[in-house]
Amino acid sequence: MSEFEKEEKIKAGLEAKFPGAVTNALVQRKNRVWLDAAGEKLPEILAWMKAGGFNHLATVTGFDEGENLGAYYHMTDTKIIVTLKVKTPRANPSIPSVLSVFPGAVSYEKELEDMLGIKVQGLPPGRRYPLAEDFPVGQYPLRKDWKTEDYLAQQPSLKTETK
Amino acid sequence: MKTIDKLITWSLLKSPWILHFNSGACNGCDIEIVDALTPKYDVERFGIVLKATPRHADILVVSGPVTRQQAKRLRTIYDQMPEPKFVMAIGACGCSGGVFDGCYGVVPGGLDQVLPVSVYIPGCPVRPEAIIDGVVKMIQSVEAAAK
Amino acid sequence: MSKITIPFGPQHPALKEPENFMLVLEGEQITSAGINLGYNHRGMEKAAEGRTYIQNLYLIERVCGICSHSHTTTYITNVEELAKAEVPQRALAIRTLFAELERVHSHLLWLGVAGYEMGFETLFMYTWRDREQVLDCLELLSGNRVHYSINTLGGVRRDITAEQKAEVLKRIKYLEERTQYYIKLATQEPTVLARTANVGKLPYDVAIERGAVGPTARASGVARDVRKDDPYLLYAQLDFNLITHNTNDVFGRLVVRALELVESYKIINQVLNNLPEGPVAVKVPMKVAPGECVNHYEAPRGEDIHYLKSNGTDKPERLKVRAPTLANLQSVAYMLEGGWLADVPLVIAAIDPCMSCTDRAAVWNPKKGKTEVYSWEEMRKLGIEQYKRRGVDFSRL
Repeated sequence: MSEFEKEEKIKAGLEAKFPGAVTNALVQRKNRVWLDAAGEKLPEILAWMKAGGFNHLATVTGFDEGENLGAYYHMTDTKIIVTLKVKTPRANPSIPSVLSVFPGAVSYEKELEDMLGIKVQGLPPGRRYPLAEDFPVGQYPLRKDWKTEDYLAQQPSLKTETK
Repeated sequence: MKTIDKLITWSLLKSPWILHFNSGACNGCDIEIVDALTPKYDVERFGIVLKATPRHADILVVSGPVTRQQAKRLRTIYDQMPEPKFVMAIGACGCSGGVFDGCYGVVPGGLDQVLPVSVYIPGCPVRPEAIIDGVVKMIQSVEAAAK
Repeated sequence: MSKITIPFGPQHPALKEPENFMLVLEGEQITSAGINLGYNHRGMEKAAEGRTYIQNLYLIERVCGICSHSHTTTYITNVEELAKAEVPQRALAIRTLFAELERVHSHLLWLGVAGYEMGFETLFMYTWRDREQVLDCLELLSGNRVHYSINTLGGVRRDITAEQKAEVLKRIKYLEERTQYYIKLATQEPTVLARTANVGKLPYDVAIERGAVGPTARASGVARDVRKDDPYLLYAQLDFNLITHNTNDVFGRLVVRALELVESYKIINQVLNNLPEGPVAVKVPMKVAPGECVNHYEAPRGEDIHYLKSNGTDKPERLKVRAPTLANLQSVAYMLEGGWLADVPLVIAAIDPCMSCTDRAAVWNPKKGKTEVYSWEEMRKLGIEQYKRRGVDFSRL
């Protein structure tokens, strides 16, 4: 029996409520739980967690895993951090938006779209974030095959005429 | 030298007004610039005042590596300043890109890729004494050129 | 009356960093506010993947100059967790000392900036003059006023001598007296109260829903502080209070930060008077075994969270940084709506933004039922035509 009772309870609760959608759950250490979550069920899982005290979505990390693109949702009740890893295939990456549960997550979802090219279903249109307006569309800096040196070599010099 | 030029040079030397522009800095240099205005260093005794609009400023004080998003806006601000005008590149980022050299979000090479720079002040962040020294050196060179 | 949208930022005297707020105004009242960010985007997370863990210490420090220690400490805590390093207690104590010194300098800075935004320039000059005491302490202990770089992989770079400790304690004592004066000023001065009470209202449930953190959330009654909830460094052993307030406005944020200063002095005194003996660093191999971890830290502005994934080499696989201001900005739009234009700089300054727009003006014409966007040239032409109709010709300017 692990010494981390609260964490084990949370892990067990999630596994019981969402069988099949929550897999590979692990209590890493005190106050840290990690698990894989199915993308389609994501808003439902987050809503259930929010009602149970995990009402702070700290941030979302996007990561290029190779065959898949990952979006890791770090949820916390400020004591325990539960990280839900959602994977989506690189060929057609898409995850549902969680704005209905966390309206403050708009910047995090825009970042997933801009930096990794994951389409977030239900994200309202608007100015891109965080990349510059003149950054080429279709290039995703956080993907492993995108190299800074190649991008910088393509850029025209910004040296302007002095008045 | 015409009287109007003499008047302009005199007011520039006696009381240079600055506009501060943050072009993607981490704020280390920004707080040291603002620090130069506070009682310990007090540049207001030299006539230096922080202005709100480029149209009132003599010197454009730029901190940070120039991010691509800011480069156009920085150029617009510079064009809005009346002549004679000067540009000070504050900190290692302004001089050469600093620790951000090689990042895709910044213009490679520092501030002088986007604007003509009059004074470079190194440091990460700069010390307020270095900023005062830079302004003094610039004023001395303007004085020498005016003679 | 048509509504007009004006851009606030990225170049604005009230903003020390570039961000842009699109304020839709009806007269002087704000009906809605939109936020545009990205002016400060340098591409650090990508750059971090190409630098070693030690090189990244200096890169991550420069995410923010005001809370640089927060970022390096969270980052290095992640690396040390993955490398399974046992950091000595003395190093943790020195890190805690720097963390609280940073909180003091940051809150005093904020008090000054808030005073400046209110028009209370004397408060600005007083607090920044007193802040020099803290900067002198930091320079004495680390060698630099800003970007102290005290952390290294496995501990801290420098030790504290007895003379340095005495010097710091002396200056903190001076600051304790000055802070009592600021607290009295903040709570009793009528002009401060008039400018801050009921401005920038953020109710408890909106604060939670929008993910507010730090003093912004604590002023709305949200009792959250990572130092108390998920203690790191030495906080589990220290005696200090979690400060909250219940007025949900800028005044509450002012009070919370002023009282947090008092708590920080308490912590600094406890740490310095009970410094554990021992080495200040342990040797940690440069290559870190594969793994991932996430850690958070209570920066002066709120919860700072970092995620790190390692891959067995001496360079990280993925480093993610979420600074507290990004979490607080979503609440700013709520706070601005329904308020007055004159309060905008103060409300934005009240979240203590640690993060810029010569966009065009968008005019919504209710008669035509659509929004037209005017460029600078078009606006100028519009102005000239309007005045020509009144008999004044500005076209030669």
